[in-house]
Amino acid sequence: MSIAFRVRSRPSDPRGSASVLDPWRNVDWMMLWAVGALAVIGVFNIYATTSPRLVLRGADPFYFTQRQVLFVFAAVVALGAVMFFGHDWLRSIAVWLYAATTFSLFILLLWGRASSETKLSFDLGVIAVQPAEVMKPVLVLVLAAWFADAGMRTMPYDEFIRALLIAGAPFLLIALQPDLGSAMTIAAGVFGVLLIAGTQRRHFVFITILATLSFMASIWSGVVRDYQLERFTALWNQNNTSDRSLQNLVLQVRYAKRAVAAGGYFGKGYLQGELTNGRFIPVQSTDFPFSAIGEQFGLVGAFIVVGLFSFILLRVWIIGRNANSPFGRFLAAGVFATLAWQVFQNIGMTIGITPVSGLPLPFVSYGGSHLVAWAVMIGLVQSVEMRRSA
Amino acid sequence: MAVDKQQRRWSALGGFAIALLVVLLARVWFLQAVTKEETDRIIDRVQSRVVKLIPERGRIFDVNGRVVADNKRVLVATIDRRIIDDPQDRLEMFQRLSGPLNTPIERLYTRADDKRYDQLTEMPLAFDISEEQAAFLMERIEDYPGVVIKEDWRRIYQYGAVGSHVLGFLGAIQPGSAEYYKSLGYDPNERVGLYGVELTYEVDLRGIPGYVRYEVDAVGRIKRVIERVEAQAGRDLQLSIDFRLQQFAEQALESQLVVRQRNEAPQVMLPEGIPDPQYEEVNYYKAPAGSVVVMNHNTGEVVAMASYPRFDSRWFTANVDAEKFAEVFPLTDDPDRSILVNRAVSGRYNLGSSFKPFVAYAALNTGQLPGGASYTFDDRGTYKLESIPKDRCDQGVKCVFRNAVCRSTGAPCQYGEVDVEAALAVSSDTFFYKIGEQILTERGYRAVLEEEVRRFGFGSPTNIDLPFEYAGTIPNAAYKKYLASLGVIAEDAGRAYYVGDNVLFSIGQGLLSASPLQVANAYSALGNNGTLHEPRVVRAVLTPGTRNKAAGLADLQTASVITPVTEKAPSTIIPLPPEVRDPIVSGLRRVITGPGVTFDYYHKTTGENLFRNYSGITIAGKTGTAQGFNNLPWNDSSAFGAFSLDAGSPYSAFAYLEKAGYGATAAAPVVKCIFLALSKQWRVDELIPADPLDTASAIAAPTARLRNPMCLVSATAESRG
Repeated sequence: MSIAFRVRSRPSDPRGSASVLDPWRNVDWMMLWAVGALAVIGVFNIYATTSPRLVLRGADPFYFTQRQVLFVFAAVVALGAVMFFGHDWLRSIAVWLYAATTFSLFILLLWGRASSETKLSFDLGVIAVQPAEVMKPVLVLVLAAWFADAGMRTMPYDEFIRALLIAGAPFLLIALQPDLGSAMTIAAGVFGVLLIAGTQRRHFVFITILATLSFMASIWSGVVRDYQLERFTALWNQNNTSDRSLQNLVLQVRYAKRAVAAGGYFGKGYLQGELTNGRFIPVQSTDFPFSAIGEQFGLVGAFIVVGLFSFILLRVWIIGRNANSPFGRFLAAGVFATLAWQVFQNIGMTIGITPVSGLPLPFVSYGGSHLVAWAVMIGLVQSVEMRRSA
Repeated sequence: MAVDKQQRRWSALGGFAIALLVVLLARVWFLQAVTKEETDRIIDRVQSRVVKLIPERGRIFDVNGRVVADNKRVLVATIDRRIIDDPQDRLEMFQRLSGPLNTPIERLYTRADDKRYDQLTEMPLAFDISEEQAAFLMERIEDYPGVVIKEDWRRIYQYGAVGSHVLGFLGAIQPGSAEYYKSLGYDPNERVGLYGVELTYEVDLRGIPGYVRYEVDAVGRIKRVIERVEAQAGRDLQLSIDFRLQQFAEQALESQLVVRQRNEAPQVMLPEGIPDPQYEEVNYYKAPAGSVVVMNHNTGEVVAMASYPRFDSRWFTANVDAEKFAEVFPLTDDPDRSILVNRAVSGRYNLGSSFKPFVAYAALNTGQLPGGASYTFDDRGTYKLESIPKDRCDQGVKCVFRNAVCRSTGAPCQYGEVDVEAALAVSSDTFFYKIGEQILTERGYRAVLEEEVRRFGFGSPTNIDLPFEYAGTIPNAAYKKYLASLGVIAEDAGRAYYVGDNVLFSIGQGLLSASPLQVANAYSALGNNGTLHEPRVVRAVLTPGTRNKAAGLADLQTASVITPVTEKAPSTIIPLPPEVRDPIVSGLRRVITGPGVTFDYYHKTTGENLFRNYSGITIAGKTGTAQGFNNLPWNDSSAFGAFSLDAGSPYSAFAYLEKAGYGATAAAPVVKCIFLALSKQWRVDELIPADPLDTASAIAAPTARLRNPMCLVSATAESRG
């Protein structure tokens, strides 16, 4: 049953100063290298996608690139902090983090309703914080803590319902923002935790039916706004250019797809993408970074990026499987499912197989909130591995 | 057991992720490896930029080779509309471009939204920029992404307003013809001929566009030329118009209209012999518009074709904004004021007595007049219809038709015994009333008169190579029914074709209408012994690139003809035996020379006074006065047609001056001046290039006057007919 490919493969340091119990001996550097590589790709990609438009405006072409570099540093700090303090310490403050984030989501929703705009972030002047991004690690953390505390092998019905309530509140708040992309990602994380925490099969059936019914109810009740429905409609009408209301979405996806397709096997080369100049694809640096990668670096580049994500997922999977505490397993499962889903959803919308939503590509897209949030999630998994013998 | 279950769940989670990743990779592989070629084709257009090379439009020469429509090479700055999609980007680009292009930002904004420019292709920023400006922009292309400098041509109309109705003008493709030009491979934003020969010969004049394909980098910088296919210039045209005579005709027409505007029309008299008090005491002729056509009747070529009011074709190439354009060419419902109408081909006019030669032809050709030329009729000023019973006449049906009033007696003129020649010479209406009645009633009410005059082209278009030709109308039962269905005439009136209709038809009134060109062409057929040509204003289509032998003068000797247009123009033969033609021609000759007829006293012919001292080419002609609204004297329109009897100068002419008075006083002097000019007995101004168009003014065309207008002057007496 044991897996040959062990995460902790390094022998004890022959110079032998560190204790066997020193968590820093167990850091999964391979995973961190992969994450780092994606972040670097992301920074270069942001320059390629944003600089032509900045030049056109006569602004500093490095403006967004510089900011992203700062975000990466902030994310490294966050990653180090989580790895240092450990997941168990975070478990102790999980409830407070959960309460604070849910509250901020609630405030954001009220503010959005009051100003009758779609509010996704708190604008703090220099940076804007997206609570929905923060919620991803927090919810995984709090759910993992909840099930670990319950300490059950198979989950009774009442526990299942309580877990659903814990996850449901932020899910609903994010869905109402409306940010269905993030809501879906959070649901994926919840699913990962529930699966490993031993949810019974009939409960999964139940939750699936519930989800389907609530989705249909939301369409009928008008909670889902027209433009969100259009995103689904656009997905099924990618060659339709006659419908004016769909045109923007269809064109956006078409250009993104075209950019990916134009790359061919080896791409056009860095900064040589005709479509990767920020003029044709709106919000390319945040929502469609993969289109720029596809055009500039081709199939090879695309496979490398997907490969890096696969590698990170594999490491998270192994760490989760081998974790010796239920809390660690649940954490890893939540992170694994969240990451897998978000990568699929973002790249999928670039190549026209999932609906368009404003969801960033982890580590690669422009943006501070999601970088820090993902650093925290990676830090949690690292911490699980680092402290597995504790 | 529990551990196993958890392992299974981990496998499920892993499997789920693998499934998602496999779907992604498969789709990416499909896009990049399988659909790449198709995408490349689409992307190619983005990677390489194709700039169209616009061909030089064919030049237009007058009959002697004077270049009347030329081209100037200009540089046009355009911008890719995608660059200025975003309002912020648009503002910044326009701010940056305004200085170098020397164009206010507001104008750039107006141009961006101007519907005259296609919204899907590049937006024109500035027309006719200098080489320096172009170099400035191209050297800083990083600062001006999407800006392209194109080579274009501007049409030059050397002589301004002279011949503008014939030449026409260029403009954006109109919505109605968009499909047609698209099918011919035109760009939606191409400029095409909208009027005149620019329109009718559009396809010949256009040429074949070329293109340059540049390779551009991601920012839009041109890296190299991949391919350059030169444009081929359009074919040149040689008109049959002599622009010097054209200018003279326009001057004569305008001078005469201005003269007529200063003349009082006769008063309307009540039966008691006092002026009708419901009208102003003094009414000047409005004389708002008119036209002249001069043709070579042996070839069917138009030598001059003037229409007033005139316009300067250069307004259409001056790139003035829509507001200014509306000021110069106001939209109007008043037909007197419309400028962009070539009245010579589009005018719809009553002809009055100038139509009588063709009624005379009908009568003589069908044997309606017993004895032909020797038949006489006793003209006592009135004609009472014979075919309508007395009781019907008493019920109010109009049965009595009168001659025009003679000034000396104040009653309808009486000419006594007149034959067809004399009837034409003094323009006896009653003579023709009788023909009008009997040619219908004695021939089983068949449309004999219609059939006969149709031989001269009345009622159908002449098929001249100019657009918007009016086909004319001939009164008959079908036409009356049609007018009644439109509500133009009462339903009762439209029920049938009555004798009265044919009587009015016989003196060129009623529902008869024709364009001046049609009448000129009909007179030409009388002049050339019975050949009805399809008239042309273009003599030949020439191969592209005719050289100049001097400034503004093309070397027609070296030019090679592609299509000899006038040679190929079809013609039909009208049966015109001497016994039919001779009385008509001698009648028309007597109009010019006299003598008239003596009954009670001497009645002059209608043209006798005017032509008393005329010493030009021998001509024969006929005056006409077409009654206008309410038969008020100041609404009389004036017509005069004439043809040369001199085989060395085979010209025919027809003039029509709207609301300008009697045929002999308004239209005939214009024709007289033209024949004097054709006889080289009157000074014709040299043709000199027009002054630059003053775009600050709101005048459609400058004035054109005869330097010596004495050819318009006649002796005093006015006689109607």
